[in-house]
Amino acid sequence: MRVVIIGASFAGVAAALEVRKKYADADVILLEKQATLGYIPNGLHLYWDNKIDDLDAARFITTDQLKKETITYYLGATVQKINTTQKIITYDYMEQEELMAYDKLIIAAGSRQLSEKIDGSAQESVLKYKRYGEAQAALSKVKESQHITIIGGGQVGVEAAHLLTKQQKQVTLIESMDYVLFKYLDEDMIQPIEQKMIKNGIDLRLGQTVSSIEMESDQKVTVHLGDDSVTSDAVIMSVNVRPHLPFLDDYVTLHTDQTIAVDRYLRTSVEDVFAVGDCIQLSGPGEDMVYIPLINNAVRTGIVAAANLVKPTVTFNGSSRTIGTTVFGYYVASTGLTEEESLFTNRTVKTARQEVRLNSLNPSDTVTLKYVYDASSRVLLGAQMISTSNILEKINTLALAIQSKLTLEELKQADYFFHPLYTQMVSTTNLVSWMDERADEDES
Amino acid sequence: MKVEHFLEKNEVREITIFKKLVLNNGILSYIDMLDHLSISKASLENDLDSITSRVADFDTQIKISYDGQAIELEMSDEMSLQHIYRFYLSQSIKMEIINFLFKHHEFSITKLTQKLAISESSLFRKIKELNSYLKEFGLKIRNGQLQGEELQIRYFYFQFYYYIEDKSTLITKRSDTQIIQTVDSLEKFLQVTIVPENRERLTLWLIISKSRVSHKSKLYKQLRKQMQPYMKDPLYHRVHVMILRYYSRYSIEVDEEEAMIHFAFLLAFPILTEEDFHEYRLIRDRHAPIASLDTYIAETIIIHFKFRRPPYMLERDMYYHLTHIHTRLYFFKGDIEIYEYEEMLAKEKQIVGKNLVPFARTLLTTSTDKFLTTEVKDNSLIKMELLKYVSLLALISFKMTTVIQIGIDLKMDDLYKETLTELLKQKMRPISGIQIERYQPSKVYDLVLTNEVSIEENQYDEARVYILSEIMSSFDMMTIYKIIQELNT
Repeated sequence: MRVVIIGASFAGVAAALEVRKKYADADVILLEKQATLGYIPNGLHLYWDNKIDDLDAARFITTDQLKKETITYYLGATVQKINTTQKIITYDYMEQEELMAYDKLIIAAGSRQLSEKIDGSAQESVLKYKRYGEAQAALSKVKESQHITIIGGGQVGVEAAHLLTKQQKQVTLIESMDYVLFKYLDEDMIQPIEQKMIKNGIDLRLGQTVSSIEMESDQKVTVHLGDDSVTSDAVIMSVNVRPHLPFLDDYVTLHTDQTIAVDRYLRTSVEDVFAVGDCIQLSGPGEDMVYIPLINNAVRTGIVAAANLVKPTVTFNGSSRTIGTTVFGYYVASTGLTEEESLFTNRTVKTARQEVRLNSLNPSDTVTLKYVYDASSRVLLGAQMISTSNILEKINTLALAIQSKLTLEELKQADYFFHPLYTQMVSTTNLVSWMDERADEDES
Repeated sequence: MKVEHFLEKNEVREITIFKKLVLNNGILSYIDMLDHLSISKASLENDLDSITSRVADFDTQIKISYDGQAIELEMSDEMSLQHIYRFYLSQSIKMEIINFLFKHHEFSITKLTQKLAISESSLFRKIKELNSYLKEFGLKIRNGQLQGEELQIRYFYFQFYYYIEDKSTLITKRSDTQIIQTVDSLEKFLQVTIVPENRERLTLWLIISKSRVSHKSKLYKQLRKQMQPYMKDPLYHRVHVMILRYYSRYSIEVDEEEAMIHFAFLLAFPILTEEDFHEYRLIRDRHAPIASLDTYIAETIIIHFKFRRPPYMLERDMYYHLTHIHTRLYFFKGDIEIYEYEEMLAKEKQIVGKNLVPFARTLLTTSTDKFLTTEVKDNSLIKMELLKYVSLLALISFKMTTVIQIGIDLKMDDLYKETLTELLKQKMRPISGIQIERYQPSKVYDLVLTNEVSIEENQYDEARVYILSEIMSSFDMMTIYKIIQELNT
């Protein structure tokens, strides 16, 4: 059996490793458009954060590891078209057009950061650095720039703003919503971070949409928003990513948003063709199908597709959209439904917010938690955390609770260790209403 | 644009024949029909033959017979003129072109000629005809696409599917869980209630929007200009936030103007209830073009009705309708004339009296002047909005006519009392503008009819009291009628 996988980022590599594990005799081939393997998207942030000395160190897999697993890979191979009737892939490799037949095909072509709406966003001076080559270019451009405009206040944009401010750069951040990180946090939770951003001198432009980007004669770039404009030395695009799949034939059904339609087994409309990672919609926190391009989802879909290659066995159980990051001195994490997003579901939710001490010492650092739960069943649906201490791991507890559909009461019964240095009387992730740890519950 | 523009001349004539027959109890002489249609007898025979072959599909539901002297139509109880209209429209090539465009966004001449089984030249002719009607919408079919401002394209499709094409088919086919969920989410986001008939409108609109949203190179030039005064509008802001959040859940890069399009639609069509609209009216910017025109026109109307302040709820209702009218005039171009304009105007004139129509015209001139619309007079939008002004004025004048509350309080044995009260009520029923009932002490009346002078002073409070001299006598009736007239002025 020959299994061809288009794309060797997280989803593709996860699929390849899992196929190898399950089918020792299979011929596993990865076709990767990029010239290098395994670059961690936005690895540039690790470099800016001084966590790695060289951009090249931002790798999650090496060619040696693939070789060891007897996985064949072609780097710099651009797929031009696929013929799902004849099961043949046409791709360019070393300036030659090549053909490859497959028995099973997994599309893991990922996504790219590009705006079709913002005029001038495709030009080279507008930096995107999801990929290795782009990151190298961005690195040198940013080095020589003093004032940098970031378009998009999602996780990438806010992290970039944080890391660039640390390098004493002047930063303008533009977000079309009323607040940053809006996919993961409710507005009431974001306040400390936004205040810190402003305190750090970030020119925060909220509720504004970029219409065009223009190169000036003096190497500067002007970003136009409504009647206003910002001129800076460089522009970073950190808008939503989207799949780019020009090679598909007409038999592969797409959704309105151009993602590939798959069933619960990640099978596309064509037999023996699977799609994973950033190419598909997933069942999201509200249990409807949404687009959540996160690496954790990419890896998990890759594994599930591999499991279903020969016969449908494992269903993909969706995503809680769990994230965690550190920006502007705060650790923030989120999983599941936010209060604001719950308006897109049929559920009536209630929320509770509380500030909890992290250990039994005095003074102790605290974490602010927000719970979103079903008003009638009290099943936990979402959680958000923000603290100056590293509480990121704790979000996984709540993510698991959400996936297991635990109620708040069941969560209180969870058995955790006690140690005065690391915990207080009750666990951080239990919604308690004792003493001064008052929970502000409200109905929405 | 009119519905009949989607039909051929002979088809329109055939429908006219049906209509004429329906209006004449199903039978008409050749002479009268020829006179009505101003065609030759041979052409009429042709039309009738054509009708016969068409209605063959309907089996026994429609039967038309003619013998050179008279034409007779028989229809089963379930059949209506509406069905006949729909039947003719369902065979229209022009309808198919629009349907095809909506479904596929673009066409190639070869593909479309094959699909419709017509020649290239007749396809070009049909497109040319369609373009002449689409002109008032600021749209045209060119290079296999419907071109024009995005708002206008959606507005046209909306009117087309709502009034001309069979909307229920489209809704059944395309209203998936996603659309239903979106309507629910909109209710939650805007904190409003969408009642069933408004829900149908909104569903259709969302189906159209969903099909258009990922279309490339949309045009918003005019809309952006029109939206300038509304960028800080609270409803727009809420719609904007919802749209951004909604599309952030998909791999769609949404235009900022998408929110503007929905904002215009929400205010131009009855989607919000009067109550929800009222909440919005309290917080909207009174100086923005639509709101200030609403106020200006509302005050003009109040002055017209001799400064009599309309009751609170009527005034609210007036603003509700005025905003729909003015939003349409502000944002949209063109319309589909769903009613025969002249017929409708004539009907309304009969109901509302002659002087309200010229007044409605004055209001319309004021509005179009304010919005600097350089529209030609023949534009269907202008005609339809005039009809709406007339209807609104009629509504106000009906509601402003005070209803006189009359209580009957007869002092006699219970059996007689009840019988005579009922008789009296029956006798007075034809008098308009009154509400009559057996007297109830807890209620306030304008007039109380009784047969004995009350011993108690001020028993009837402010109400005027008439003592019947002889129950049911014509003298009493005449006097009562006079009193009612007095009370009315």
